[in-house]
Amino acid sequence: MAPTGKRTRMSWELALPDALLQPSPGGAEEAAAGADVCDPAMENEAFAAFYSRSARPLWAYLARSSADPALADDLMQESYVRFLCAAGAPALATDGEAAARLYLFRIATNLLRDYWRRPRAVSIEEIPEEFFAVRGQATQTDAQILLGPALKQMKPRERQMLWLAHAEGYSHREIAKVMGLNTASIRLLLFRARRKIAALLRAHSADDGRKS
Amino acid sequence: MKLTSCRHENELRELMARGQWPDACPPELRAHVSGCRTCGDLVLISEAFQHARVESLAAARPVAPAVLLWRAQLRRRNAAVERISLPLLGAQIFPCAVALFAAAGFAGFEARSGVAWLTWNYWHDWFVQLPQAAVAQWDSLSSGSLAGSAWSWMVLLPALATLLLLGSVAVYFATDKP
Repeated sequence: MAPTGKRTRMSWELALPDALLQPSPGGAEEAAAGADVCDPAMENEAFAAFYSRSARPLWAYLARSSADPALADDLMQESYVRFLCAAGAPALATDGEAAARLYLFRIATNLLRDYWRRPRAVSIEEIPEEFFAVRGQATQTDAQILLGPALKQMKPRERQMLWLAHAEGYSHREIAKVMGLNTASIRLLLFRARRKIAALLRAHSADDGRKS
Repeated sequence: MKLTSCRHENELRELMARGQWPDACPPELRAHVSGCRTCGDLVLISEAFQHARVESLAAARPVAPAVLLWRAQLRRRNAAVERISLPLLGAQIFPCAVALFAAAGFAGFEARSGVAWLTWNYWHDWFVQLPQAAVAQWDSLSSGSLAGSAWSWMVLLPALATLLLLGSVAVYFATDKP
């Protein structure tokens, strides 16, 4: 499912012997080729550019799907670290940024799924003080007031699909790649989720109208 | 649930992606959207999500990419070290096992040959007499029973060296664990 492509080495990897960097038999070919090692400064620069373009959308996806900005910070960093360490990650130079971005979103989606599956036992001392602070309506933005309550009533998977489709503008095929499902399932699930959130948004708007 | 799609949905989606909704779109499409549930839902949801996306992008505080490159570097190095640690452990255990077998074989051979210095009584007597005449005792050790076999010194010294080596390896294993 994950796109396969040759991965050029980062600058810090040049300090390690080849034998330590080849995780699979396929890596031997890469070592034999040897010539595809790019200028490390250029490679880091390419990553920095990719990061500057993709970090905020990825954080937005994680924050809106999890409804937890702190968790989004952690998972975003972990996603990039895994992306950099993954042997099968698409190379920016050869596979293109779109493929790299899809791969990154897929890592983030899997991390979110792992997080939700993990049993949690949080001590009250571990929760930051800010968590208990009551946030007034005045500090909430329009989108939070409108979309926040509706998203909270959606299932995590529905939130992810809706965000990818309507915020990131991904096609059904791309969402299927990110979520690890088939396209037909995405079409049906997204259709249901869209109906559900539209009803919630309309109900919320109607409530607001009555109150005002 | 029946999947109902509207033929204007794709057109509407493209207009919204280009930012042409609602001002730069044909009036008939606007009229259609006001009466079509599918298109109405699409507009409502897309506008809400696009608005939320803009706000979330502004709220994001990504760390410097160098931090991530450094973390990835650490993780890959750790993984590489873990990959080679197993063969290294094997390379340490194998010579130790060989040395142990050699030492055991040598001890067994010497015991069967009846060498006096391998018996408890010999060492007990030697330690008892050591404070009285250490130098003389050493002389007796070197010229006494050990002198009986011509190659005993040649065997004794490597055996002691092996014991020292094994001792140092044992100390290493005991102290090197994290």
